[in-house]
Amino acid sequence: MKLPAAFRTSKGLLGTALVLVILLIAVFAPMVIPVDWTTKMDMRARLSPPTWAHPLGTDQLGRDLMYRVLLGARTSIVIASSAVLMSIVIGLPLGLISGYAGRTTDNVLMRLVDTLLAFPALLLALTISAVLGPNLQNTIIAIGIAFTPFLARIIRGEALRVAQMPYVEAARTAGNSDLRLILRHILPNIMPAVIVQSTISLAFAILAEAGLSFLGLGTQPPDASWGLMIQASRDYLDRAPWTALVPGAAVALTVLGLNMFGDALRDALDPRSKGAS
Amino acid sequence: MSYILNRILSMLLTLFLISAITFAVTNILPGDVAMMIMGTQSNPEALAGLRESLGLNDPLLVQYGRWIGGMLTGDWGTSLVFKEPIAPLLLQKMTASGLIVLFSMSIALICAVPLGVWAAVHPNRWQDTASSSAALLGVSLPDFFWGIMMILLFARALHWLPSSGFVDPGEDLLLAFRHALLPSLALGLGLMAHLTRMTRATMTGILNQEFIRVARAKGLGERTVVWRYGLANAVGPVMTVAGLQVGYLFGSIIVIESLFNYTGMGWLTYQALLNRDIPLIQASVFVIAAVVMLANLIVDLLYVLVDPRIRLS
Repeated sequence: MKLPAAFRTSKGLLGTALVLVILLIAVFAPMVIPVDWTTKMDMRARLSPPTWAHPLGTDQLGRDLMYRVLLGARTSIVIASSAVLMSIVIGLPLGLISGYAGRTTDNVLMRLVDTLLAFPALLLALTISAVLGPNLQNTIIAIGIAFTPFLARIIRGEALRVAQMPYVEAARTAGNSDLRLILRHILPNIMPAVIVQSTISLAFAILAEAGLSFLGLGTQPPDASWGLMIQASRDYLDRAPWTALVPGAAVALTVLGLNMFGDALRDALDPRSKGAS
Repeated sequence: MSYILNRILSMLLTLFLISAITFAVTNILPGDVAMMIMGTQSNPEALAGLRESLGLNDPLLVQYGRWIGGMLTGDWGTSLVFKEPIAPLLLQKMTASGLIVLFSMSIALICAVPLGVWAAVHPNRWQDTASSSAALLGVSLPDFFWGIMMILLFARALHWLPSSGFVDPGEDLLLAFRHALLPSLALGLGLMAHLTRMTRATMTGILNQEFIRVARAKGLGERTVVWRYGLANAVGPVMTVAGLQVGYLFGSIIVIESLFNYTGMGWLTYQALLNRDIPLIQASVFVIAAVVMLANLIVDLLYVLVDPRIRLS
């Protein structure tokens, strides 16, 4: 099988490689690295710069930053992908119904979605997280709900476009039911847009999780999270800037990889927008 | 005219829905205002009395009616943490945040538009690669990370700018500017990257169109073609995206203002959320959503001014 042209560009290749490496780390790091390596406090090596013993340095408690940042990958990926999945599960039917069902339903649903869009996503996520109480599960719910209106809007637009295609009209004339039309003819044709949007949302969800955890309303200690690590580093910036740089670089590489992968995916799945970014 | 009237009516409806959602979400909060005022160790009878006098035993709909009535008449209640009336508090903090939001939006637009155009007129050349890569990096880093890097560089290493705090522009304009600069830059960088990508994409699409080819065939200079013909058509979409980003900015100020200890709206909202100051959460979430919606309305109306095609259709 030949790789689509969009993935054979340097950006596509680099993005795919980064995403693969981070996924592998997220899956395998917690299995391979013993728990006590990530929590072991080496009091003699507190805020140590990168050395042979600690290749990425240590934090204020003398914990190895390399192990913690590798472990944080799973937290980030699990929260971001669960949140995006949640927003698809709610947003997909909402968008499909709104785009297909006709004017009144569309108006009511989109009014609701537009109202939710007036709340900045991060504010909505923070408020939900504060209301429910910050922990891993509620962080997923908070980000998932905050991202749903965006996805619903995009899916509605796509459904509206596809529903007017001649082949959908033909299928309707042939006597197919509404449900069959939606599931067999509309859904498969909007999937490329959904997949591309999900990849981009995933990048945003990683940033949102980092932001929430940075403010103390996301992942809670002792779970390793990049946002939490950056927050903890704030008091030691002068003496140990690497405590912020290491988790910051981890967030940047992950989001960068997802963005490049998403761009390539869009070029491959939707040739109309080729080179649009 | 009917377009504008229509938009304003629909805005009022959205405003009502925003208030309902804000009230509903904050009412799921465990614990109530009475408990917040008297503390968890308080006498149950006194607590019940306070609940009764605050109207917390009334049905939710009645409570909502009272809240929205208060919001409409300017009685926004008292903050439980700051022990101050909420309306003047919010107004003051909104001014502080307005300063950095406007500042960052200006920085972002001034840099992003030329960068995006520059990349679009040199597709797949080094100019495009450089501008697009920088923009990609910009959208991939959390803004609080940019903020930390700026504190390290401009405040700690170079000692050019203060690393935290807010100064009222009415007291000392220059000092206020110096305090607002780093938070604005941290806010503006991500936005700038986003708008650069957007400008490039829009301009690339426009420069491939028929009328541009005609303009070139007529012998017009490249500068006129790009800036006068191309950019004029890109202004609308770029402005719309910039308007939508006001929402993103008002989300980001929560993180950035907390990082820089810049006591604006974002900082206030964060304090309210951390301390479960329910009346303050309700008012500030409502105000932020309303401001974001208003910003989008203004952009839509400006779009009509800029692009006569919408007015005529």
